[in-house]
Amino acid sequence: MQEPKKILKYDVLVIGGGIAGGESAINLANLGYKVLLVEKELSIGGKMILLSKVFPTLDCAACITTPKVSEIARHPNITIFTSAEVTEITKKDEHQFEAIVLQKPRYVNVADCTGCQLCEQACPVNVTDEYQYGLVGRKAAYIPFSIASPRAAAIDIDNCTLCGACERACPTKCIDFTQTDEEYLVKVKSVVVATGFKLFDPLKIPRYGFDKCKNVITSMQMERELAPTRPFNTILRPGDGKMPDNIAYVLCTGSRDKSVGNPICSQICCMYSIKQAQLLMGALPMADITIYYLHIRAFGKGFNEFYAQAQDMGVEFVKGKVGKISEKENGNLILRYEDIEEGVVKEAEHDMVVLSVGVLPNQGIDEVFDNQKLQLDPFHFVNQSDILASPAKTSIEGVFVAGTASGPMDIPDSILSGGAASAETTSYLRRANQ
Amino acid sequence: MEIEKGKTAKYLKEKRPVPKQVTEQLKYFTKIKKNILNALKEGDKTVPQLAEVLNLPKDEVLFQLMSLLKYGFVETGEIDDMDEFFYYKIKSNGKN
Repeated sequence: MQEPKKILKYDVLVIGGGIAGGESAINLANLGYKVLLVEKELSIGGKMILLSKVFPTLDCAACITTPKVSEIARHPNITIFTSAEVTEITKKDEHQFEAIVLQKPRYVNVADCTGCQLCEQACPVNVTDEYQYGLVGRKAAYIPFSIASPRAAAIDIDNCTLCGACERACPTKCIDFTQTDEEYLVKVKSVVVATGFKLFDPLKIPRYGFDKCKNVITSMQMERELAPTRPFNTILRPGDGKMPDNIAYVLCTGSRDKSVGNPICSQICCMYSIKQAQLLMGALPMADITIYYLHIRAFGKGFNEFYAQAQDMGVEFVKGKVGKISEKENGNLILRYEDIEEGVVKEAEHDMVVLSVGVLPNQGIDEVFDNQKLQLDPFHFVNQSDILASPAKTSIEGVFVAGTASGPMDIPDSILSGGAASAETTSYLRRANQ
Repeated sequence: MEIEKGKTAKYLKEKRPVPKQVTEQLKYFTKIKKNILNALKEGDKTVPQLAEVLNLPKDEVLFQLMSLLKYGFVETGEIDDMDEFFYYKIKSNGKN
């Protein structure tokens, strides 16, 4: 293996720059610890920064996330690596970890980029925008999204024609195609794993018609349609641009379903679907919204009231298991479902269907640890070895877990978990100084 | 090799040829952009109307049209009489 070029020293390595990792990093930094925050995406902020609003308060997600992200980015005790991955962690001794961090090229010198978007305007390419979940295009020279942190351009080298238009347009000459991968050897005293979650891929349930039926979308796509930085001019069907007026939600898509290998509840789908239903009723006052559910799990503070509010607003709740979704010639969708209360199979027509996709673990973090075993739970989330007394503790002393890396949870719980991880990390670090 | 700041694309192009699919993708977008803008020059259109004129699937037209809206070539007009489809038109202040 090639020798890492640079050696860096920090107190804590936080893996993952979502809300849980960010919360851990900021708490530790405020206590005076030097933190390296490693994020694989081009921006910190995780999935929350891409949401429209949050439940049950309907606060604007960006309004909560952006000040936090800004505080993290500006903190003198936090160093952030975006487009970077931790490839290996070795525990040398108690309070001594060595990590290899791979920094991938962004082809832009972030410090010099003013975010003027002139490169974006000059770029002739149009490819699928992953931050809008495939609903619209983006350029190959692009700022990931308007509230990204850092708000700096990046070059999608796999889709770049290397025409040089971006470089010619850049007033600060910050685009640099000579950048290559860089490896760092990072020496730290403790590690926080905050690698988050991934969403269930609905292609694994072909009978729901995702991709084949263009008006079947995921809840994250609807989240983007509802956000102020939405991909369309308003809420539209991706199949033909029609404004929908009869939208169905299919809950438990990829959750509580042994047939797709995920038997557990994702904890957030009921509430985010109810939230989206309320937002849709505001955005499309004439629209009918129907939620097909198995059980509504409104377990948190204010959740049941939020559910009742949706019912009062006119959202229809049908206790039913959807078996199949098929498309009519006009793009409308026929849902064949079992009405659980009546015990009969029924069909209903909707003009758009949202699949409320579940939460799955981001796998692979256990393989990063080379001389210690990071234990996972039966569902491949990071195992909490002492869940009641020390919820951030993992099977490796000095390695703590924060947020959805340990299992499905909502935003307040992720922030609480990030706080717990920082407290337990502090306690561990203090023991090193005794 | 001396690498001049602001002209580094040339350097990478020598080391790494651009895949054919990337240039094909650019050609496709350039063509579809021209066709959509030409169709809209004839008059404001909805997505199904554009799809019919261009003989393309409606979802493909929507994707490309929304990209052009994002890039500032196109703007949203009125909604049709049935309150179903928006009309789209060439942005009045011209080019991006």
